[in-house]
Amino acid sequence: MLQQKESKATVILRYTIITLILVAILFPIVWLILTSFKPAEDIMVYPPHFTFKPTLDNYIYALQKANFLMFIKNTLLDAVVSTAFVIVLSSLAAYSFARYNPGGGNILFFILTTKMFPAIAVVLPYFLIFKEIGNTSVGNFLQIGLDKPGALIVSYTMFNLPFAIWLIVSFFQDIPRELEDSARLDGYNRLQVLRKVVLPLAMPGIAVTAIFCLIFSWNEFLFAYVLTRDAARTITVGVESFFTLRGILWGPVAAAATISVVPMLVFVLFLQRYMVRGLTFGAVRG
Amino acid sequence: MESAVIEKPKPAPKAKKTMSDKWYGGLLITPAMVIILIFALIPLFYAVNVSFRHADLTMGGIQGWVGLNNYRTVLHEAKFWATVKTTLVFTCVAIIVEMSLGVLIAFLIYGATWGKGLIRSLVILPLATAPAVTGLFWRYLYDTQFGPFNYFISLLGLPWHPNWLGDIKLGMASLIIFDTWLWVPFVALIVLAGLQSLPKEPFEAAELDGASTFRVLRTLTAPMLGPVLTLVFILRTIDLLRLYDSVATLTRSGPGDTTETMTYYLYRQGLVFFRMDYASTMALLFMFAVIVASGFALRPLLTRLAKRAGAR
Repeated sequence: MLQQKESKATVILRYTIITLILVAILFPIVWLILTSFKPAEDIMVYPPHFTFKPTLDNYIYALQKANFLMFIKNTLLDAVVSTAFVIVLSSLAAYSFARYNPGGGNILFFILTTKMFPAIAVVLPYFLIFKEIGNTSVGNFLQIGLDKPGALIVSYTMFNLPFAIWLIVSFFQDIPRELEDSARLDGYNRLQVLRKVVLPLAMPGIAVTAIFCLIFSWNEFLFAYVLTRDAARTITVGVESFFTLRGILWGPVAAAATISVVPMLVFVLFLQRYMVRGLTFGAVRG
Repeated sequence: MESAVIEKPKPAPKAKKTMSDKWYGGLLITPAMVIILIFALIPLFYAVNVSFRHADLTMGGIQGWVGLNNYRTVLHEAKFWATVKTTLVFTCVAIIVEMSLGVLIAFLIYGATWGKGLIRSLVILPLATAPAVTGLFWRYLYDTQFGPFNYFISLLGLPWHPNWLGDIKLGMASLIIFDTWLWVPFVALIVLAGLQSLPKEPFEAAELDGASTFRVLRTLTAPMLGPVLTLVFILRTIDLLRLYDSVATLTRSGPGDTTETMTYYLYRQGLVFFRMDYASTMALLFMFAVIVASGFALRPLLTRLAKRAGAR
């Protein structure tokens, strides 16, 4: 696996293949963003146009016709609130698992098995349950019910929680226990140790976890599709609504998709160092 | 490194006034566990309950007990088995393609001498996109008339004009190509991380001994990468079996019903035909199969992790 002896030909071959792969990976994303700035007459043409006069028409159309601002607002609300819940709950739990190991690993394992439920199997009962809750006064007050933001916030909290606990546990393990012990000797009580020593040290890891939760909630489709109709629609489902208007309007679809995709692309560019760790529940150190 | 920490006596100057570690640890996980238990178990019990009843939401909702009738109906239904087959074919082909391409890309990047960071940040990008959104846009890329894919094929001078989403022989391939685009980066990144965390010494020793590249790969790299590859394999398999978003937006189970996976059929039974009884029964069968298969495969790996988490 040592690379000193590689000949020039091998290096050139390696970089040629890598370039081809990068082109294949990036093309759909680049084409999506390009299409979102194309005037309508440059979209449905053969051969495809690579140069064109950029326009914002598609964005204006998307923002006006499909109430896209509301979709964005809903998505942000769901993602931010559920992430806040998840981070508070999972930091406490993960700290406990990293230090006191309640259940000797069994509880931690059980938490992960809930991730193996297929989302589709969970969403059907959720649909019926939220339908019931939505008709009660409590459900009305808490905004939990079909086509209400609470339903998605609850769902996203639920399905990000197991992942967040596992990921944060792996970050807490990196904090040396001696630091806590000496803080205790200095007279801090347990809560002070957690608040003033452990949490500040774990902040980078917690921040990474939070961004992951934001990405997952932002990109979620199935729950949003099933549990909302209109007022609580989110952006991923909203993109689909351009289908029903008249035929498929690829320009506005591309504009809407770009709005939905670009914020997360930016996040991930900053996050890439931690991506591996996040996607494998911390099982592989990235 | 752990033993020194464990044997260090616990400083507990105020031990009498505070609660024991056990209670404190339990208290901290309680809020999260309550949420997980409620929201994971309620749907589960709900589904079990409904699977033993007659439940047609268009006619009277959830009604009386029917025993095992729903299970009998579902297991005797040809359509159900057809979707199981579609799901398995899709999963098997996709996992082979994604694993081999992913490992190949990981080795390519690992050997790169410059620009590694940049390459990695570009490869990662598909993972940030929502499959439902990019899946929708890929319909345009696949378009027979105006799609860039067919334009590129014509540039190569091939006399081939595929109808990606309309030809019943190609629908499945189109879905697999899309899923590969979306998830190969995941496989590649994790294998790359695994490669980078391998210890250097054995490889240097092997080189001094003049071992051939193939021999090093077979006796050193492959066994050491084993656990990482297993983890990626299992995580990907679970996700492939559960595939829903891209079917819903890219192929819509078509052409015909050639890409109707189990989850999509489940969705249609439950939320298009509103036969909650059949849908719940299938969901349970599906969940059971996934948990049994993946649970057994993952268990050793995860318990080791959990142990490392707890017993420091």
